[in-house]
Amino acid sequence: MLINFKLNGDAVRVDVAGHVTLLELLREEFELLGAKEGCGYGECGSCTVLVDGQAVNSCLMLAAGVNGKEVETIEGLGGPQGELDPLQQAFLQHGAVQCGFCTPGMIMSARALLKENPYPTEEEIRRAWRVTCAAVPAMPKLSRPLRPSAIFRGRKSK
Amino acid sequence: MNEFKTGGVAVPVIEKDEAKVDHKIVGKPIPIVDGKEKVTGQAQFVNDIKLPGMLIAKILRSPYPHARVINIDTTLAENLPGVKAVITRDDTRGEKYIAMGPPLSDRYPLVMEKAKYIGDEIAAVAAVNESIAEEALRLIKVNYEVLPAVYEPEEAVKEDAPVIHEDRDSNIAMRIARSYGDPDSAFQAADYVFSDTYVTQVVSHAILEPKGTVAHYFNGKVTIWTSTQAPYFVRKEVAHILGMPEGDVRVKEIFSAGAFGARSKVCDDEAICALLSRKALRPVKLVLTREEEFKTTRVRHPYHIDIRTGVSREGRLLAREVKMVVDNGAYNYLGPAVLGYSTFVAASHYKVENIKIDASLVYTNKQAGTAFRGFGSPQVTFAIESQMDDIADQLGFDRLAFRLLNAHESGFVTPAGWKITSCGMKECLQKAYDGVKDLPLDSGSKVKKRGIGLASSIHISGVKLFKEGDYSGAIVRVAGDGTVTVFTGAADVGTGSKTTLVQVAAEALGVSVQKVSITTMDTDQTPQDIGSWASRIMFVGGNAVLRAAKLAREQIIKTAGAALNVDPEDLDIDQGVVFARSNRAKAMPIGDAVKLCNTRIGDWVMGSYHYDTPAEMINRQSGVANISPTYSYGAHGALVEVDEETGMVEVLRIVAAHDVGKAINPMIVEGQVLGALAQGIGYALTEQMLYKDGKLLNGNFLDYKILTTADMPQMEVSIVETMDEEGPFGAKGIGEPGLIPTAAAIANAIKDATGVRFKEIPILPEHIVEALSPEDI
Ligand code: FES
Repeated sequence: MLINFKLNGDAVRVDVAGHVTLLELLREEFELLGAKEGCGYGECGSCTVLVDGQAVNSCLMLAAGVNGKEVETIEGLGGPQGELDPLQQAFLQHGAVQCGFCTPGMIMSARALLKENPYPTEEEIRRAWRVTCAAVPAMPKLSRPLRPSAIFRGRKSK
Repeated sequence: MNEFKTGGVAVPVIEKDEAKVDHKIVGKPIPIVDGKEKVTGQAQFVNDIKLPGMLIAKILRSPYPHARVINIDTTLAENLPGVKAVITRDDTRGEKYIAMGPPLSDRYPLVMEKAKYIGDEIAAVAAVNESIAEEALRLIKVNYEVLPAVYEPEEAVKEDAPVIHEDRDSNIAMRIARSYGDPDSAFQAADYVFSDTYVTQVVSHAILEPKGTVAHYFNGKVTIWTSTQAPYFVRKEVAHILGMPEGDVRVKEIFSAGAFGARSKVCDDEAICALLSRKALRPVKLVLTREEEFKTTRVRHPYHIDIRTGVSREGRLLAREVKMVVDNGAYNYLGPAVLGYSTFVAASHYKVENIKIDASLVYTNKQAGTAFRGFGSPQVTFAIESQMDDIADQLGFDRLAFRLLNAHESGFVTPAGWKITSCGMKECLQKAYDGVKDLPLDSGSKVKKRGIGLASSIHISGVKLFKEGDYSGAIVRVAGDGTVTVFTGAADVGTGSKTTLVQVAAEALGVSVQKVSITTMDTDQTPQDIGSWASRIMFVGGNAVLRAAKLAREQIIKTAGAALNVDPEDLDIDQGVVFARSNRAKAMPIGDAVKLCNTRIGDWVMGSYHYDTPAEMINRQSGVANISPTYSYGAHGALVEVDEETGMVEVLRIVAAHDVGKAINPMIVEGQVLGALAQGIGYALTEQMLYKDGKLLNGNFLDYKILTTADMPQMEVSIVETMDEEGPFGAKGIGEPGLIPTAAAIANAIKDATGVRFKEIPILPEHIVEALSPEDI
């Protein structure tokens, strides 16, 4: 079927088969390789992207489901000259990135949380990540970049 | 109210910074140098590779734990449109992987006669897309003769048990029986003897990136991208399996996820993928599914440990006897080395002069074990450190004082021949204990009991396991524009080694980190390195880079001395400028000096170094050798809260003190310890692979419980610096140690809280409930 949606700010139109997942669409059709397949069944979160601002496991969502919606991936973050988003910067600065495999998923998940709740408590951060962290060895460090004091100093208000 | 429930981590505390003000880059918590690629999603992993004409591969696996393969008919699969290659045993040379060398080699790229566990590779297909490849698998007809199987070492060692590897007499893959000192007399002389049995489980590395390879065979050569810790081992094994010269196999640089030992040698996919590509004459991608990753890749060996310890009235450890029965699974991989290392740890942890070891590694029809962060030490350390607490308690000793009394010091040589140089063992113990000793033990609830526990560890920084040595090569190149490139064979699987090696080079050359780039793991371009395992890269790779950088620096300094008319002794380099200390006006950019060097090659001045550690080769007979150039120490203090009604254990706080020699990058050290802690807590409390008749029952992230952020306690990493004499800028390894004492520290804290000693991990809520309410059973 033919679907229209916004991908990282650009209007796109694409023909997708009914069984194609959003992850497959992003990786294969649009060659956006930041979202990774760690499990393929919704348990690891390395495929997390935002759909209308909500974090979703793109491996579980059918591509057709984004018709008329806005999709944001890790590639959509940052400034036009390749400047890092404050969230990306915070992950780097606080040593929350190790191998980097799930980092895009982590960052998108964090972004969704901050959109909904700009000043999360540490407990809220930890709960928000419950579904997304699987094997990440650095996960305890991940809450650090999201601690309000750390992140919002550099964050533009939106 | 619980003040420790907020979780998160504290900033690492460096207790003993030798005030080495001359270090400008070493010792600084700089962000990782390849971080920008990672946070923007630009870092390419194996599954992100797309080549023109690339095929997708799938593996056909044995559904039986033990079965003879009578014949394989691939005709239908080969005729399926879109299928470009099908391979079986007939497409191989009938050679085993080299692995640890004969007689330990026991594994073929594809099953020859018998499948030995559920998941053993029978055949593989490369097709134009995944669904055709999957359909082709279904069209392959395999005739099996199902054989009786054995799943537990106790059954496998019985006289009448089916022998899994028929070229051997029994299922005992290896047995190590030896004594150090005179254990029998020492036990007789001991005032007290303690005997206990400990059992550890099978756990998965649970690597988030499924294992995968892209292989491209072209014009007689094969290029490989694979998620690996050891590109040179992959090259050697693929060349061997394909019957090609090593130089015709090129393993290229690619981002890889943390592999924790599972990918420290060749795995199963690399050679299969290369064989398919050679047959199809097209590039082939083979990426395992999550299910395959759980069911068919390696695991941590489960141990059954009987430990007997003789102690003097004063609390000195006099003798230790350790019997270990280890389930090897179906193949050796690194099992024999893991077993051997366990025996060395058993003969080295704490000061015990008289040791008796009897360890066996037993084949079963299950998934095989291999290296996993700690390499056989977490199992033995769990037993030793659990028993240490019980001994202290029963004899009325303070648990810390008892440990300190028996702790190592510089100059000590363990019965296994480990020569202790830099040694922060006592300091680590003290810091770990101090970190938890004053925490409130009153939970405010009658059913929730709190307790603290302590445990320590010793670990290698590299190991002499292969006769070729324990080496890393490095080339450091300084260009005429003042930029520097480091070439090293070591893969950075998320440990941050690219960054720490860049820091070493930048410090040695007096340039900023931004001027240094690094190229790793390209077997055609980077000097050989035996791999990112055994916590060796910081120490061994670091020494190679440091020495190569110094060689480049010498040439630059000499040339600049002549050009500036200054005694080279008076010259230093800072921020990329060579200058005279006595007269800062006499200076020139490092690149200008490069251009004047008569040793330059084109626009480059290069230093290259092959660093092999001064350690001794493992001695399998005597079990005595100083196998590592130095040893890292660690100790963990844990505070737990046990709900006696539900059996739930909450780890509230862990203080992990680690002697890393010198923290080249404290933020990376912290990350390594925290990740290891997460795995260690899972090892203690939640993780366990469950099998029924050789079939894995919980091979997914829902049923296999690794920790998530929500489960993490408050953690503090305390870095102890002992400035190792041989280490680069004093550094030692820290990749593995953070996992090793974790389970014991938690088990000890649970005992402190409940009074019950759990000798089997994971310690599950049902075990606790059962132990605390025997009358209800
Ligand atoms: S790949 Fe989507 S949740 Fe794991």
